Amino acid sequence: MNGKNRNIIVIAVMAVLLFGMSLWSWMKGADEYSESERRILADFPGITADSVESGAFMQDFESYAMDQFPLRDKFRGLKSFSELSVFRKLDNNGLYPEDGYISKTEYPLNEEMLDYAAERFRYIYDNYLSDKDMNIYFSIVPDKNYYTAPETERLSLDYSAMIEKMREKTEYMAYIDITELLEKEDYYRTDTHWRQEKIIDIAEKLASEMGAVLESEYTVNELDNPFYGVYCGQLALLVEPDTIRYLTSETLEQCRVTSWSTGTEEESVLYNMEKAFGKDPYEMFLSGSEPLLTIENPNADTERELIIFRDSFASSLAPLLADGYSKITLVDIRYVRSSMLGNFIEFGNQDVLFLYSTLLLNNSMAMK
Amino acid sequence: MLFSSITFLYYFLPCVLIFYLISPKKLRNTVLLISSLVFYAWGEPGYVLLMAAGIMNGYISGMLTEKFRGRAASKAVLAVSSAVSIGMLAYFKYADFFIENFNAATGLSVPLLKIALPVGISFYTFQILSYVIDVYRGEAKAQRNPINLACYVSLFPQLIAGPIVRYSDIAQQLEQRTHTSEKTAEGIRRFILGLAKKVLIANALGELCGIYSESDEKSIVFSWMYAAAYSLQVYFDFSGYSDMAIGLGKLFGFDFMENFNYPYISKSITEFWRRWHISLGTWFRDYVYIPLGGNRVSKLRWLGNIFVVWLLTGFWHGAAWNFIIWGLYFAVFLVIEKLFLLEYLKKSKILSHIYVLFAVIISFVIFGASDINSAAECIRDMLGFGDIPLISAEQSYYLRSFGIILIIAVIGATEFPKKLVSGFEKTRYGKTVTAIAEPVFLGMLLLVSTAYLVDGSFNPFLYFRF
Repeated sequence: MNGKNRNIIVIAVMAVLLFGMSLWSWMKGADEYSESERRILADFPGITADSVESGAFMQDFESYAMDQFPLRDKFRGLKSFSELSVFRKLDNNGLYPEDGYISKTEYPLNEEMLDYAAERFRYIYDNYLSDKDMNIYFSIVPDKNYYTAPETERLSLDYSAMIEKMREKTEYMAYIDITELLEKEDYYRTDTHWRQEKIIDIAEKLASEMGAVLESEYTVNELDNPFYGVYCGQLALLVEPDTIRYLTSETLEQCRVTSWSTGTEEESVLYNMEKAFGKDPYEMFLSGSEPLLTIENPNADTERELIIFRDSFASSLAPLLADGYSKITLVDIRYVRSSMLGNFIEFGNQDVLFLYSTLLLNNSMAMK
Repeated sequence: MLFSSITFLYYFLPCVLIFYLISPKKLRNTVLLISSLVFYAWGEPGYVLLMAAGIMNGYISGMLTEKFRGRAASKAVLAVSSAVSIGMLAYFKYADFFIENFNAATGLSVPLLKIALPVGISFYTFQILSYVIDVYRGEAKAQRNPINLACYVSLFPQLIAGPIVRYSDIAQQLEQRTHTSEKTAEGIRRFILGLAKKVLIANALGELCGIYSESDEKSIVFSWMYAAAYSLQVYFDFSGYSDMAIGLGKLFGFDFMENFNYPYISKSITEFWRRWHISLGTWFRDYVYIPLGGNRVSKLRWLGNIFVVWLLTGFWHGAAWNFIIWGLYFAVFLVIEKLFLLEYLKKSKILSHIYVLFAVIISFVIFGASDINSAAECIRDMLGFGDIPLISAEQSYYLRSFGIILIIAVIGATEFPKKLVSGFEKTRYGKTVTAIAEPVFLGMLLLVSTAYLVDGSFNPFLYFRF
């Protein structure tokens, strides 16, 4: 092949790529939402004299161009592949697949965030719990990296330091250690969360430490919908989806769930089948993000009640504790101000469990 | 606007290329000028007028300098024009540095101006200076077409990060330039390779440097890792940008001077500076060093000239003491080499390489530091005087994670890949294989670089601050 032909081929190939992708970018309609990243995508910015003069239009256009680029997820996947398989980086944006499990290298330990979380817990204790005859418990849910990092020599939080610090700062609570009961198989391969069918022993351990008795026999139900967890979308690589399984029992079927997500009392469900087939199927457990809800068990052998201050890990766990309590109140202080709790909850002689994942404790700025 | 952005690659560049190709030849500079102004205004809408003022200064001064050639007025015009250009640079880039140091020296509290640095001001100011000086010296004719001059100063391929194109080198091309398939293909090759150098290598090294800077836990290995990564990052960032600029220039028919020539294979600091940021070195040589007398003066004055040039070179890079020290640091090495060391360096290639790498890596620690103290701390840590461990588990992770990219960067900074390809091309089927593989390889580089840009949200160039 002579030099001229070689040059023409180079020009032709690159022209097709450059002008082809350019034309596609111009012609392609804007997508509103990224399913894989679970976020709203930037739309074409409005042009005004002010926005051009201030540079806001240009900045917004850059975001638009990246967000709306054709085959965006495929390109993100190509980047992940390149990082992990070509450049052999040990993680891509903090995520790494290993042995079929995608984990996130949550790192390093953020002391300020731990202090802030502890300060929020102290606020709740001082204002609602300290003058009551209540048993208060605290348990930390380790993230998946707790189990996968040592196997793969990845970075991980100093979990001992985290637990020690949180225990020191929450001396008014009895700490329940559940780390020994978990292993990586108890988590979804593609998601942050743990699998409900794998945490019955966790519920039993917590109940036992709190003096409650769980006797239910569960039936395992399988959701007929592939579950591509949040890590799957973030990594943008093709991986086998998870399957969501959820537990039912006679007790759970009788339970009444009430939500205050709109500010007023509304009937809700333990397992929200609409959300099971929605954007994030894990939200089927207690309908996902809820500031305040209750699970009432009319067949309970006890009058005892439990208040759980929690994050999303408790959504799949709390139903498994229903057997031991007549009423469980779940509070997520990311969505309701701690100072408002007195308006919704009558604090008395309930058991109280603070159940938080290491992920949220290390990023606690959302706690109110 | 950044070359390594989706906006530039898939919105701006294709539009400019189409308008350029369909325009009649006499309007092509106008298309380039308008495109360049849009390119500049995209990032700095307010400073377009400043650049326009600089261009006007150059245009009027060039005309007057030529008109009064041979008379004292010509020199006066040159002096006024240079004062205006340097004054603009001094005000927008160095005012706060001078005020800070004045306050520190006098104990006064003159308020800082806090002016945002106009992007590319160091580059286009030097080009305007070069134009007026070239006209004054009679090395170039004054440009009567203001569009052509404005096109020269604001030409977007080299506007914000060079190479610094001398007017006399490009004057002819502004009037008439050729477009061939060979030049266009070469332009594409240079642009794509430059893009990949920036996006795939420099940015990854920048990530490692960022981790070091944010970490409170230092170690000897980590400090060396940072120093090596930063030295390579600056090279791949800046030479990648220069490759893109040269490549884009070729697409529009221009031939810009080379700016880098494998500086890390140098065997002396003198050689390093013949291979690093060549356009800046050439500019200071032609417009400062030689007018000061160069080496055709007494030994003491010659050494003084070297220090003046390197003081200015350091200061050109930034309004901070670490840049000045960085420049003077090189002046010391250059003087020592010129006085006696060069002879010794010729005796051992390996030792001379080690010497250059050590000196350059240390220099970039000074260059990249936020202040003198942090540079000193890093150098102390590198030399093992910092009462710090050899390496921690965390840093071992980063070494493993960035190991391949560091190896690629080290190899890519040498002539080895180029020699490998040209050696392979000389084999029986080498030319045919590379002819087929080349477009595939370039296409893959473009797509992978695009993937990184789509995945990222912020992608600044290091040399923007200069």
